[in-house]
Formats: sequence, C-alpha cells, structure tokens
Amino acid sequence: MVEALLLALRARDAIDPDEVAIVAGLVDEVAMVPAKRTVLKRGVPLSHSILLIEGMMCRYKDMRNGSRQISAIHVPGDFLDLHGFTLKHLDHDVMALTAAKVAYVPHDRLTRMTEQYPHLTRLFWFLTNLDAAMHREWEVSLGQRSGAARTAHLFCELYTRLALVGKAEPDGFAFPINQTELGECLGMTSVHTNRVLRDLRERGLLDFRRGVAKLLDPEGLKRVAEFDPAYLYLDSRPR
Amino acid sequence: MPRFFLHIHNGHGLVHDEEGSDAPDQAGARVLALDSIRSIVAEEAREGLIDLTGRIAIEDEDGNPLSDVCFPDAFELRMPANG
Repeated sequence: MVEALLLALRARDAIDPDEVAIVAGLVDEVAMVPAKRTVLKRGVPLSHSILLIEGMMCRYKDMRNGSRQISAIHVPGDFLDLHGFTLKHLDHDVMALTAAKVAYVPHDRLTRMTEQYPHLTRLFWFLTNLDAAMHREWEVSLGQRSGAARTAHLFCELYTRLALVGKAEPDGFAFPINQTELGECLGMTSVHTNRVLRDLRERGLLDFRRGVAKLLDPEGLKRVAEFDPAYLYLDSRPR
Repeated sequence: MPRFFLHIHNGHGLVHDEEGSDAPDQAGARVLALDSIRSIVAEEAREGLIDLTGRIAIEDEDGNPLSDVCFPDAFELRMPANG
C-alpha cells in the first residue's frame, strides 16, 4: 500500500524496518476514485490526509471565467494534501486525472507519529518542502520558460518522478491526460499546447500522443527545458 | 459536450488537431480559437515576432468544416498613423 511512498522516501534517506511498519500503520482505509472526480475541495475541513497509491491527480484552481490552472501533478507515492495536516483546510481543489487508488491517513495518526517518531516527522516535513520546491519550479516555468521549454520541463519532471517510483518505461511513460488538461498545467489553451507538442515532435525531442509520452531525445529535451533535477532533492542523506 | 477539432494553418504549414477539445457549442469553439490565437501570438511576441498570417479551421466531430478564424480576428490592431 505504501510501497511507492517508501521508494520516494528511500531515495532521500535510509528508513529502518520499524519505521516502515509505522508508515504502513498510518493508513486507515483505501478507496478507488474514478477519473475526473474532485476528491478535495477548497475550504472543506480536513481530518485526514490522502496518499496516492495508483493513478495521477492534480492540484488546481478555477477562475470565474472558467479557466483552470493546474499547479501540481501527483504521481503514486505522493500525498495529495500532507499540508492539510497543519492547514486543516485547503486553498485549492484536488482532482483525479485518471482512475486512481488512494489511502486515507487520519490526522490523529499523524499527530501520534509526530509525537513519537522525530525522524519520520522530519521526512514528512521534507515531503511538504519538496512540494514547495516543485511549485517554485512550476512558477519559474509559467513566468520565464517559453511554451516549448515549459512543456519539455514538465515531461522531464514527470519522467524523473515516475521513474523513482517504478512507473516509467525506459523511453517514456503513460500519461493519460488530454491536451486541454496538459494546457491547464502549462498556462496554454489545448490548441496552443497541440502546436507546441507538434514543434517538440518535429524537433525530435518528445512524442506525446494518445496518453503516451515518449522521450525521443532525453538529453535534448533537458537542454530545451533547462531541467536541473536538483529541486527534486534526489540525494540520500540523513535528514 | 460536443467535441471540436481546431487545426492551425500558418506559414509553417498545418498543425493537425487529432484529439479535439470539448466546447459547449460552435460559439464556444470559436472562443477557444480566439483564446488560442492570442496565446500563440503573445508567446511569439515575447520573441519579437507578430505573425498574423495564420488561421484556425474549426471542424465538428465528423470532420465537417464549420468555420475559419483568421489570426487578425483575435485582435484590435492599433498602429502609429505615420507608420
């Protein structure tokens, strides 16, 4: 149930068997979520956090005119709302991009963990810091990168994060979202997104069609994106 | 919601829309075309180019052409009088 989370944590620090048992014991119930279902609404009081086990989800905010900004994509092993443990309600919504499987982690269990297990507490703190680092990188993308670089960066990031939890293929990954949703990540319309994808395909960098991403030239894609994975903190060290 | 296919024709050729986008109706598809033209031109403008030679051809789900939206349709253009 918590294997992907453990893979993500073990890439950053050693975890002993006792801690594995504690993390596994955090999970209360498991649920299936259909694609496109909003699982967390802004402003709603929270008594648990949600761990994504399978599928992809996103954090987003809607504007009055109907436009939507997706501010993060979640992959297996991510908490959707670990920040909700201290915030107690969210300022954004969370939606399933694909059919998904989630685990509920009651806040009272997290409270007990923070009282009894300082190392795990620091690692969970690390996870919310990591979320913030990814948000900063998306901010740089939206403010400074061109459409092509922004798109390339998103695919570099997702490939790296999915590979970490064993969900990537050697040359790409399954990414079953449509071009409207991809555009909502990138601050572009579906039509503009399609044009950028065509450009990246013609340059021999990336082929994204029908929910499958193929990195045709990973090094070239990284160059275009100015992708430096340092913000993903992939080094294992005592934390 | 019905699906519309918005193909971009410009100086670089055709960007074919294989996937399509949902819109409430044909007027909604036109709004998407206008938004898309503004987004594309704004991106190019940051690089110093304003190219309004393109158009977006809107088709319905069966591939029937519905309308064309030319790039200048998305803008009110103001140029210096002595330009």
